[in-house]
Amino acid sequence: MVKNITIFTTNTCAYCVMVKRWLGSKGISYEEVNLDQNPERQQEAFEISGQLSTPITLITKADDSQEVIVGYNLAKLAPAVA
Amino acid sequence: MAESQVETHDLVIIGAGPAALTAAIYTTREDVDTILFEKGVIGGLAAITDWVDNYPGFPEGIAGLDLAEGLRKQAERFGADIRLGEVMSVTDEGEYKRLVTTDGDILAKAVLIATGSDYKKLGIPGEQEYYARGVHYCATCDGAFYREKRLVVVGGGNSAIQEAIFLTRFADKIDVLVRGDTMRASEVLQHELTKFADKITVHFNTTTDEIVGQDGKVTHVLGTDTTTGKQVQFDTDGVFVFIGLKPNTAFLQESGVTLDEIGMVVTDGLLQTSVPGVFAAGDVRSGATMQIASATGEGATAAMTIRKYLEETPEA
Ligand SMILES: Cc1cc2nc3c(=O)[nH]c(=O)nc-3n(C[C@H](O)[C@H](O)[C@H](O)COP(=O)(O)OP(=O)(O)OC[C@H]3O[C@@H](n4cnc5c(N)ncnc54)[C@H](O)[C@@H]3O)c2cc1C
Repeated sequence: MVKNITIFTTNTCAYCVMVKRWLGSKGISYEEVNLDQNPERQQEAFEISGQLSTPITLITKADDSQEVIVGYNLAKLAPAVA
Repeated sequence: MAESQVETHDLVIIGAGPAALTAAIYTTREDVDTILFEKGVIGGLAAITDWVDNYPGFPEGIAGLDLAEGLRKQAERFGADIRLGEVMSVTDEGEYKRLVTTDGDILAKAVLIATGSDYKKLGIPGEQEYYARGVHYCATCDGAFYREKRLVVVGGGNSAIQEAIFLTRFADKIDVLVRGDTMRASEVLQHELTKFADKITVHFNTTTDEIVGQDGKVTHVLGTDTTTGKQVQFDTDGVFVFIGLKPNTAFLQESGVTLDEIGMVVTDGLLQTSVPGVFAAGDVRSGATMQIASATGEGATAAMTIRKYLEETPEA
């Protein structure tokens, strides 16, 4: 169902740790883009989400449709990766 | 007697902040059947605090996230089961308490409320509209978007000043708006603040009235200088709000647990609430001193009281 997942994070963001932990507990792999290490990708994160907040989780589905979830929100994350 | 089909435990701890995790270290180490529910971040507010300088045992201080990880690992080492979910209500059914959770109904002989508190909102025009697009409540989460930008920080307590100092890592200029004519932040923090005078300007007697933007971006904050009654404007790219906390106790409405006038849980010296078998520890407790060290201390005290309660409550 899910083709790939990219999470935009920062070094100090505790909610990012929770998203990664939750995906890990479900055995779901993801790519992480740390915005402290890659500040040049900040604009991309903003354009994807329309928000200035991390974590930003970009989920690409099998049919190439995409879903963006800002924050640690299990009510949105769980159905998006199901 | 517990219904056989309903998940039943000796102890359910609500929250997984410092108070909850410490209680779990004690109860699981003594083989009390314990589960925890955490709806947000494991480690609670401590996890989203950039740097903790006053928790004993760490002479140079410790990153909040690292302290949270340490507490989690220590509790899990003894078998603590931390569920990522929320407790929506607690009702007293005598020997057992019923908890409605995102994992379904759960029965518990004892319940520890360690739900801490959440940020207060300003309740002014623009705040909701620019939420997470220019108005923020967590510096460690969102500060990185403001490299070389201008910021307004609202508040004059410990959190506001600590966070304003943290934000100087990113922002070039920060205006701190304080409603009163003095700061509630500790002397130590106020002294620390003087080292950042090149970036941080504090404005006393200044209310925050409206957050204004254009094309989806925050442009300025309007306030009032209460000494003159005149409107003041602060040009900015973003606003971080730290005006205090409100206890997470809305889910206790049906529980019979007595709350004080601001909604914090009332306990006795052994941390028992008005409902037998229900206990409270940490920031959520009426009279709490809102420190990690006191939250962990209360977690330990609550664990002792709970163990005694479970020993003295006969099996059904
Ligand atoms: C910006 C800031 C800086 C700080 N700096 C320091 C410092 O330097 N030193 C210091 O000692 N203290 C500091 N503090 C205070 C410290 O963080 C708190 O005193 C401490 O975290 C309280 O611990 P607690 O376990 O009682 O509650 P919390 O840490 O608030 O944890 C409670 C947890 O319960 C969860 N929860 C709430 N309701 C439910 C529910 N219904 N179901 C499931 N889970 C729920 C919450 O998501 C939360 O994770 C700071 C606080 C802030 C905001």
